[in-house]
Amino acid sequence: MTDERRLVIVSGKGGVGKSAVAASTALTAHRRGARVLALAMSGDGGGLAAHLGVPPLEFEPREDRPGLSTSVVNRSKALVEYLQVQVGLPPIMAFGPAVRAFDALASAAPAVREIVTMGKVLWEVKREVWDLVVVDAPPTGQIGSYLRAARSITELVLSGRIREQAAWMEHILAEPGATNLTLVTLAEELPTSETVEALTWLRKEEVVGETTVMTNRLLPPLDHASANLPSGRAGDAARLHLSLYTEQQRWLDRLPPDIRLPYLFGTMTPTEVSALLADTLEEVLP
Amino acid sequence: MTRALLVTGGGGVGKTTLSAALAVRAARLGHRTLVVTVDPARRLADALGIEYLGSEPAPHPSEPNLWAAMLDASASWTAIARRHATPEAAGRLVDNPFFNAATNHFPASQSYAAAEEAATFLDARAWELVIIDTPPAAGGIEFFTAPRAMTELVGGRVLKWVTGASIPGRKLFFDRATKPALRLADQILGSGLLEEIAQFLMDLRTTYDGVAQRSRQIESHLKKATTLVVTTSDPTPIREAVKFFRDLPEVAARPTAVVFNRTLPEDWIDARPGRVAAVFAENLKRWGDESRRQRDLRTEFEARYRTPLSHIGWQPVAPTDLDSLESLVSEATGFDLDALLS
Repeated sequence: MTDERRLVIVSGKGGVGKSAVAASTALTAHRRGARVLALAMSGDGGGLAAHLGVPPLEFEPREDRPGLSTSVVNRSKALVEYLQVQVGLPPIMAFGPAVRAFDALASAAPAVREIVTMGKVLWEVKREVWDLVVVDAPPTGQIGSYLRAARSITELVLSGRIREQAAWMEHILAEPGATNLTLVTLAEELPTSETVEALTWLRKEEVVGETTVMTNRLLPPLDHASANLPSGRAGDAARLHLSLYTEQQRWLDRLPPDIRLPYLFGTMTPTEVSALLADTLEEVLP
Repeated sequence: MTRALLVTGGGGVGKTTLSAALAVRAARLGHRTLVVTVDPARRLADALGIEYLGSEPAPHPSEPNLWAAMLDASASWTAIARRHATPEAAGRLVDNPFFNAATNHFPASQSYAAAEEAATFLDARAWELVIIDTPPAAGGIEFFTAPRAMTELVGGRVLKWVTGASIPGRKLFFDRATKPALRLADQILGSGLLEEIAQFLMDLRTTYDGVAQRSRQIESHLKKATTLVVTTSDPTPIREAVKFFRDLPEVAARPTAVVFNRTLPEDWIDARPGRVAAVFAENLKRWGDESRRQRDLRTEFEARYRTPLSHIGWQPVAPTDLDSLESLVSEATGFDLDALLS
């Protein structure tokens, strides 16, 4: 990891191993001695917590191991914090109808909810307490509205405080070398086409500094050149393996060759999965 | 009487292919069958070998008794506005800059539109069986909760919170703008935005009667429908299936069965490879380990949810002809899927 890289946002279609990759990216940086914050951006962050082997995540960053902290951005807490820190809302109002009403209005206004969540994430980057912030982000289908939130605000909102904050947020996201968007995918039809679509969108919008595609669960080649396929179960397993392998290669052709992660066969807990993936990432990440 | 079979589950588990397979099987068992999807990936059309699939049910070119349709989920808000709002309000809604943004913010609108269309096909009484490949949002549960969520949304829940009035007029809305809540919103968002949001929400409010009435009809269909949950033996889809069982609202009947797709043979676990080259023995060993991982996850699921399970073997390539589609259903092991079709 370079000295400048401060933020890695991990997204991908549901079920491709997004949380596992986010956890192992954080573990890799941590093994190399960085002070890391692993942050979940959707739901309760259960997937990220399971893959790091830590208790349920909390809103306030918590140091689970020396140098490795975790947190989850809960939208209503992020909103209260946003209103207090950025707008100077007195604490007494933070629990009243004002916050609820703002939340309700914000849910109808484009980009406002997203910018409050992104604001919290980017504030953790801006604080400079961490060498690296790794984000387990919403799935590919929604990540665009988060990445574009700052620009949408700039375009839609003519005045108001929120517009002022959008500027620095847009800057951090777009800074080359500082922010990396990692798209996790599988070499299968739907994840591949979703990833290709996302890459096209990202090239057009230029909202994020750099993008890396990590293709997960790739089968190893099966060297059978010298032998005919045997009969019995070994042959059945070989036939399944070969046709899945061929199918994967077909979709792999459409994906950028950035980083490829192995299929992990067999019974494994989430922490074992992320530890094994971190072994691979330690070799390939800059 | 038209029966409804809802095929539900998270994304990427093979729901659309299985829906097509069930439809082919039902048609060949002699039932007039319609299969409906909202999947924009053309998967249903490809599986059935149909060139073009639109929102109007079309008969299959070679299979008697089989009809298919694909709903356009992206047109959902427009459809809701045109169907339930006054023409004037509908025109304003479609032109409102928040209209598209609102679709992203309230994705249940897509599930709602799909449920509304599906209910129309059930009301038509033209088929004995309508198989619905439900949208995967929130592990499939959103399809069941969308009618109520949509009614609440257009019922002005948002406006009610802001103003404290159930059906506020424009004047009331801005009179209340002196309240701290709106002053706050105004300060942060800017007043132009606030005004546009208010207009949008008030126009949306005019769809309430239509949406509320239709939602009740949809929910009555959902209660009577048979539900099949599809998953693979991987952690994420299983987590979604578990969530489905846990969060199922009272409008849905308990699923009749769970289909585990892409199942590996259990006799690969600890199998002796026989006299084969080392490369094949090693390959059987790792797939045996993988099969054990799958089995452990299924066993855990079965112990908790006590629902009949059906297993479909791992097909490396999605079937694209009617015979191989049908055999997915006829060769499934465990719970007999034919029982769902008649």
